[in-house]
Amino acid sequence: MASRLARREAGIGYLLLTPSLFGILAFLVFPILVVIWLSLNSWDLLSPARFIGLRNFTTVFADPAFLRSMLVTVLFVLMVIPLQTALGLLAAVLLSRGLPGSALLRVVYVIPWICAPLALGVVWKWIFAPTGGALNAVLGGTTPWLSDPLLALPAVATVSIWSQVGYVALFFTAGLAAIPEQVTDAARIDGANAWQVFWQVKLPLLRPTMFFVLVTGIISSFQAFDSIYALTPNGGPQGTTDVIATRIYGEAFQTFNLGRASVMALVLFVVLVAVTLAQQFYFRKRITYDLS
Amino acid sequence: MTSPKDTPEATAETDADATTELGAVAKGEPDAAAMEEDTADFPLAEPALRTTRAGRLEARRPSSRPSRTRLGLNLLSYLVLAAGFVLTVAPFILSVMTAFKTPGQFASEPALNPPSPVTVENFITLFTGERNFWAPIAVTAQLVLVVVVGQLGFSVLAAYAFARIQFRLRDVLFWGYLGTMMVPQVVTVIPLYTIFSQLGLRNTFWALVLPFVFGSPYAIFLLREYFRAIPEDLISAARLDGAGTLRILWSIVIPLSRPILATLTIITVVSHWNNFLWPLIITSGRTWQTVTVATAALQSQYNGNWTLVMAATTIALAPLLVLFAIFQKNIISSIAITGFK
Repeated sequence: MASRLARREAGIGYLLLTPSLFGILAFLVFPILVVIWLSLNSWDLLSPARFIGLRNFTTVFADPAFLRSMLVTVLFVLMVIPLQTALGLLAAVLLSRGLPGSALLRVVYVIPWICAPLALGVVWKWIFAPTGGALNAVLGGTTPWLSDPLLALPAVATVSIWSQVGYVALFFTAGLAAIPEQVTDAARIDGANAWQVFWQVKLPLLRPTMFFVLVTGIISSFQAFDSIYALTPNGGPQGTTDVIATRIYGEAFQTFNLGRASVMALVLFVVLVAVTLAQQFYFRKRITYDLS
Repeated sequence: MTSPKDTPEATAETDADATTELGAVAKGEPDAAAMEEDTADFPLAEPALRTTRAGRLEARRPSSRPSRTRLGLNLLSYLVLAAGFVLTVAPFILSVMTAFKTPGQFASEPALNPPSPVTVENFITLFTGERNFWAPIAVTAQLVLVVVVGQLGFSVLAAYAFARIQFRLRDVLFWGYLGTMMVPQVVTVIPLYTIFSQLGLRNTFWALVLPFVFGSPYAIFLLREYFRAIPEDLISAARLDGAGTLRILWSIVIPLSRPILATLTIITVVSHWNNFLWPLIITSGRTWQTVTVATAALQSQYNGNWTLVMAATTIALAPLLVLFAIFQKNIISSIAITGFK
């Protein structure tokens, strides 16, 4: 009787899982198998796919455009992550001082984060426009922000930072609020000034928040596509904004080298999994503060 | 679980004792470490400490003792925060201003000038003729509706199974689900494109919604956490009354989970209204263009016609800005709860 009930319950369990299991197998797991298969084939979608073993891997790793896109992506991440983290932390510290209006500002800063990166990219494309654009109207001159090979990547990174600072600040504000007053008070009593309290007490206690912000930031910056696509189509001036995601898109859907694009996608996947695992490992080793 | 909660209070008590002692010591030896504290900030630190032992925390609050440095710091903070405010808001205001300008004014006057005359010409152009921006709005609205209902519904079912039902493969499957959260969209779009092409579903409404409608591992994860916190008594009582699983879900679990369902609804609406890469790849032509794809297409077609393009971005951004204005409290806490992805 009991076992029949248990079996019936198990049946219900599997039944409830059926739709999501189908979705996950069909649209997340199966595609990974397909992308591995594609990476071993030469296929332009028109003629039948042709198995070529690892040749896509050798061509991709010798492809200057791909290597450049890796470099561009790393530069992009190196510009975005430190700046958005530092600015987010600064905003959080200032917002946590309890000044009137802080609550409203905190909300306002988050606005860009909920907006479509594509639409924001288009807005900023106008702001950066050499003539008629808002930035040159403020600064004077006709600087071609997005078509100068030296300026394009910093410009693109700026938009990314601009749209994410408020989001980062939100987590730091929550992290700062979670620090018990006893801890900071104790430090003050021990003679620490505000500067020391921040660097030696609060910042170490913010480590879990810091890691969350850094890791999610790195993972999403490695995949950045929408705003970059809008700001600088086709990889920007001399490919200087051709990050890995736009490179994959171009390789797959503009030159229709699905095999090579799949290799690039797999490389990105491996990098992202490595970042995630490294973070897990580091978290387990280093996060020792329990504030609850 | 009670002892860790008790500890901070206990520490606070000992802290308070230590404070008075420290204060006494510091009084005797002005050079002691305790005096390194910016004395300008705390001119009355010691007496305040001694007299208000119980209210020590309040007494130590620097803000209760405004001084010139503190005022200066506050002013500086406001300056930085205000600069952040202007930088955050300016692109939105300027782009909306541009959307209400005539192309003539845009060409002849500096970009920062307010629109005069204010015109809706750009919006009329946007919504009429071949551009007909209503179509992408309708497509996106339907897409969002179908994805929200499907994704949340199927995620609720799966999360309930994982949280409340015993079956053999439960934990294995759950960890499998969690593992798929690591798979980035950039990796799956190419194979998904080939799959939908082979099925003949490219450039259809189905292609837009199918990959998302069967549930999301992330939503399942969050819902499972929430469902696990529902008291077992409620559910077993309902079961004793003869309620089946679906009945329990519908009349007990879902009503109790309104906050997390609201959060997930907001997240799903925002991320699918904003989604770009998948619709860009899987649709072609105007029929199934979403708002983001239509905005990108308009921008490249009317490059330089910024008054019209800014009308399009205004339309693309407005619904979420309105949503944000209404639900900002929920959205902020959603981000804090979920990390929003």
